[in-house]
Amino acid sequence: MTAIRQKAPGTPGKKRGFWYTLGKQYQLMIMSVPMLLYVLLFNYAPMWGWLTAFQDYVPKKGLLGSKWVGLENFRFLFGREDFLLSIRNTLAMSVINLVFGTVSAVVLAVLLNEVRNRTFKRTVQTVTYLPHFLSMVIVVGMAQNIFSSNGSVNQLLLSLGLVKEPVFFLGKGEYFWWLVGVINVWKEVGWNTIIYIAAMTSIDPSLYEAASIDGAGRFQKILHVTLPGIRSTFMVLLIMNIGHLMEAGFEIQYLMRSGMTMKYSDTIDVFAILYSFGSSKPHYAYGTAAGMFKSVVGIILLFGANRIARALDEETLI
Amino acid sequence: MKKLLALMLALAMILSLAPAAMAEGAQEPITVTVFRGDPGDQPTEDNKIYKKIEEELGIKFEIEFLAGNLDETLGLKIAGEDYPDLFDGGNSAETLENAGALIDLMPYISEEKTPNLYKHIYTNDRIKQLLNDDGELFIIPNYGINYNDQIQNECNGPAFFIQKQVIAWNNYQVPKTLNEYFDLIERFLAENPTNKDGTPYQGFAILCEGWRHFCLINPVQHLMGRPNDGEVLIDVNDPGYHTETFIDKPYAKPYYAKLNEEFQKGLISKDTFVMNYDQYIAALSSGVVLGMFDQTWDFGTATDSLRASKMYENTYLALPLVYDPEYVDGKVIEEHYLNGAVMNKDRGFGISVNCKYPERMVQLFETLLSDEWQKTLQWGIEGEDYYVENGRMLMTKEQYEQRSDAEWKRANRALAIWESCPKKQGTMDDGNAWDPGQQPEIYFDQMSDYDKEFLTACGKKTPAEFFNPPIELAPYGEAWQIDKAPIDVDYNNGFLPIQDRWLPTIITCDPSEVDANWDAFVAEITPSAEIYSNFMQEEVLKLVEQATN
Repeated sequence: MTAIRQKAPGTPGKKRGFWYTLGKQYQLMIMSVPMLLYVLLFNYAPMWGWLTAFQDYVPKKGLLGSKWVGLENFRFLFGREDFLLSIRNTLAMSVINLVFGTVSAVVLAVLLNEVRNRTFKRTVQTVTYLPHFLSMVIVVGMAQNIFSSNGSVNQLLLSLGLVKEPVFFLGKGEYFWWLVGVINVWKEVGWNTIIYIAAMTSIDPSLYEAASIDGAGRFQKILHVTLPGIRSTFMVLLIMNIGHLMEAGFEIQYLMRSGMTMKYSDTIDVFAILYSFGSSKPHYAYGTAAGMFKSVVGIILLFGANRIARALDEETLI
Repeated sequence: MKKLLALMLALAMILSLAPAAMAEGAQEPITVTVFRGDPGDQPTEDNKIYKKIEEELGIKFEIEFLAGNLDETLGLKIAGEDYPDLFDGGNSAETLENAGALIDLMPYISEEKTPNLYKHIYTNDRIKQLLNDDGELFIIPNYGINYNDQIQNECNGPAFFIQKQVIAWNNYQVPKTLNEYFDLIERFLAENPTNKDGTPYQGFAILCEGWRHFCLINPVQHLMGRPNDGEVLIDVNDPGYHTETFIDKPYAKPYYAKLNEEFQKGLISKDTFVMNYDQYIAALSSGVVLGMFDQTWDFGTATDSLRASKMYENTYLALPLVYDPEYVDGKVIEEHYLNGAVMNKDRGFGISVNCKYPERMVQLFETLLSDEWQKTLQWGIEGEDYYVENGRMLMTKEQYEQRSDAEWKRANRALAIWESCPKKQGTMDDGNAWDPGQQPEIYFDQMSDYDKEFLTACGKKTPAEFFNPPIELAPYGEAWQIDKAPIDVDYNNGFLPIQDRWLPTIITCDPSEVDANWDAFVAEITPSAEIYSNFMQEEVLKLVEQATN
């Protein structure tokens, strides 16, 4: 994209028109058409649907025929205790995912970066990022077995004498957030590591040499060379993740929820599904309103984080 | 999620363009798109029954089965107005009616044009119950319209279930009350903690997932001696049909307190409350679950696989339990699990507003409802799938057994269509049963030796004899069929989830906390329970008035 903004090469001093530049870069234009279509079709076109958030939407009557109700749907949402709980759950699980996810990825990346045996490094990398490709249905199925009252985790805890009777991991609402955090780390840690490892390979080796000459040990090199080297990557990812703070996930909670945990498990997305499709009279408008609220807060968070990073003179996204 | 949704919509739109090219003609061959609100197997290309329909009626079916969540699938289809010609909304068909996806069938049904259908829905004033407030009929019930005598060999609905080996172990003495039932399981477990392979038995399982949470929330009405009215208890002897939610009443507490007691004794595993349907079926199929409350059709796959592995002693016997008198002020309760035939209202095929040949579709229902076609759909082809001896329709062991073979069914039965179409049940005019499985000769001949000996030892001829005979169906039908759309937020997002959350807590909490938890539960559920019971009271009275006018 940045290439489009560049001035056409080879014409110093002389300003050419917009159309001239466009013509000159037609290959780039053609190449960007699919992405543009993708964004228009999947990100902008569906935003028409947002209008239903202000309607008593009935599919049969359509967008134009349904009754406009102003902010009634939002008033309804904020009057529901379960919606307020879903905001809390979303934020809680997001923060846990963000902290666990980032810390585990950075730690694993640093550790892998220190490994000099290539085969070992590759193997660990492959093994840790393979779960990323598993469907959440399978992952949750495995987790339900592992964390059940006679599952391997409980058997381990029992045999180590850490607990007297099996812990009811899946049925205690208080554990739900942490369980989601742990499962997400297991599934995504390898994948999240890739980008940090890539950033580390671009660190100038002479910096390490210089540090060695100055008498830095392994830990000091990590602290003063590796970590500062991935700082800008880290900041960009952090800002992006903060923008996604309202997206704590949907599949894992929807698959793992039960009556006993619903006060802790239901995120805004789960709430939207339950209210949109949960009855013989679908309330699409409630779901849309909930989704819209989520997106607006997400945008605010993204710009907020970006602004703070700029104020701190850090790497920014926009 | 939004992207996925849009992609699916786009795909669906492309797919739905294809069959639209066909125009309606007299008996011109047409391809009809079909959606079934349940998962199922696609028939083979050369399925003999579909071939017969295509040859004789010129109709070819393109069938889509449910894959995934029903409510979401229907929601997406409604949002995109992507309707098949024949639309079975499964257990959520009300959604289709509320969305205006189906056409009113009444203009197409008359004594002259559709004599079979006319007789089907007008006999015994059935029509009064079928029409909605506006005099429309969108779906002709797929089940529950009986001809002549109704044969009931077994209970197909709600009951407490227990493995047959437990009854056998108890010298074929059958428990009749809640306490006797759990006492028996306790005694059996004390002597047999594990099965032959050393896997521990689970005393009692409770399925709590999704709409199947009726296993958790429905039993109290049956313990009080009523058939299935969903979540309300209705006094049919009261001229005003007093209707109340039972879950928040004092008489519901003993059941959950009893479950708590059994939980403390280890009969109920904690995992049962977080188990999904697949895990539940897997547990039942492995033969380690001794008992549960459920409905027979809900775990049919588990029964099939137990039979297939010849684990007959692990299959279940349905029991009509009631409360012990101590729980209901010394009153002795008479059980009424079996109800008169209930029309499965709002379940089956509707014809969608997108269908180009509604007339022809109604004629299809009409033709398939004729005696000859009903025989073909239910029994098959004479000589191939059954034989006739002295006027009785019979099957060899082989013929009967292949009927439960999934591969055979794909090639030789038109199940996807038959299951959702109007059909004849009960008995034919010549006395044969419409359903081969109900034909008494076949039912007994094909029973496993274990089951034969089991029943003989119990002194019964059929599993249904453990129950009182069906009572007369109340004029409102069965109250679970009432559509709750007008109060759905209070019901689906209030009344039900509060039970999902609290009842497992009450069952698993420390015995000393049961009372406090119960009170907290009642306090929280009362507002939505009141809205719900008031609504149901009105609806029940409306139905009674409709049926008696």
